[in-house]
Amino acid sequence: MELNLSVLRLASQLATHSAARQQVITENIAHADTPGYRARDIAEFEDTLNETMPHFSARQTRPGHIAFGNPNPSFEPFEVTAFGAEGPNGNTVSLEDQMMRATHVQENHKLALGVYRKSLEILRTSIGR
Amino acid sequence: MDELMRTMAAAASGMRAQSARIRMSAENIANADTPGYQRKVVTFEEMYDRTNETRAVSTGEVKLDSSPVERQFQPNHPLADADGYLEGSNVNLMIEVADSREANRTYQANLRMFEQARDMNSALIDLLRK
Repeated sequence: MELNLSVLRLASQLATHSAARQQVITENIAHADTPGYRARDIAEFEDTLNETMPHFSARQTRPGHIAFGNPNPSFEPFEVTAFGAEGPNGNTVSLEDQMMRATHVQENHKLALGVYRKSLEILRTSIGR
Repeated sequence: MDELMRTMAAAASGMRAQSARIRMSAENIANADTPGYQRKVVTFEEMYDRTNETRAVSTGEVKLDSSPVERQFQPNHPLADADGYLEGSNVNLMIEVADSREANRTYQANLRMFEQARDMNSALIDLLRK
């Protein structure tokens, strides 16, 4: 049987992406009343996936080797907000918009963990345990 | 420290800032009838939390509202000054109530984010169980 574990890697990347996005959204909500704060978000997982697949990185066979390449996709935050969310004090956080994004993140995280767990179960079944 | 822990730290900083704001509102309302009292305003600032590696919110200096205090002409009052005017405070109850409502709403949003990060974290840990 051919062992294809890329689905596990994909699920773990989706979970990492969700955690990173959750952090950015929580920072936005913490700053919901800070004057001049600009709401940020990171790109959807699907979009980062197309850009960063296939990954490549230099192999390090000795401790002195310098790492380069892109082993993990990076999730750079950029400024984005809902239409008309800017307040008179220059703050662009809309709580409703952020809540929608957070729910989306939570669903993605659940999906990732579900896929991960299911794949492990299939593996376990295939080795007869 | 992983991202979910940092998330919880950011949400906690938001809750701390909002509760400071509610405390200031409560102090202002308590002193609404104190002669010469100027209402206190709490300011929010962005701060990079080095230990938790997150862009947390912090409360800056507490400032005094410099708008003029209320003055009423009441010569009979024992606290009236030489011209017969009684000084009140510059607290507007309507503003304080609206302010604490807004703080309450943002506090709840932060709390929800905290809970969500905690749920995500415990779901991850549950993966280790069979």
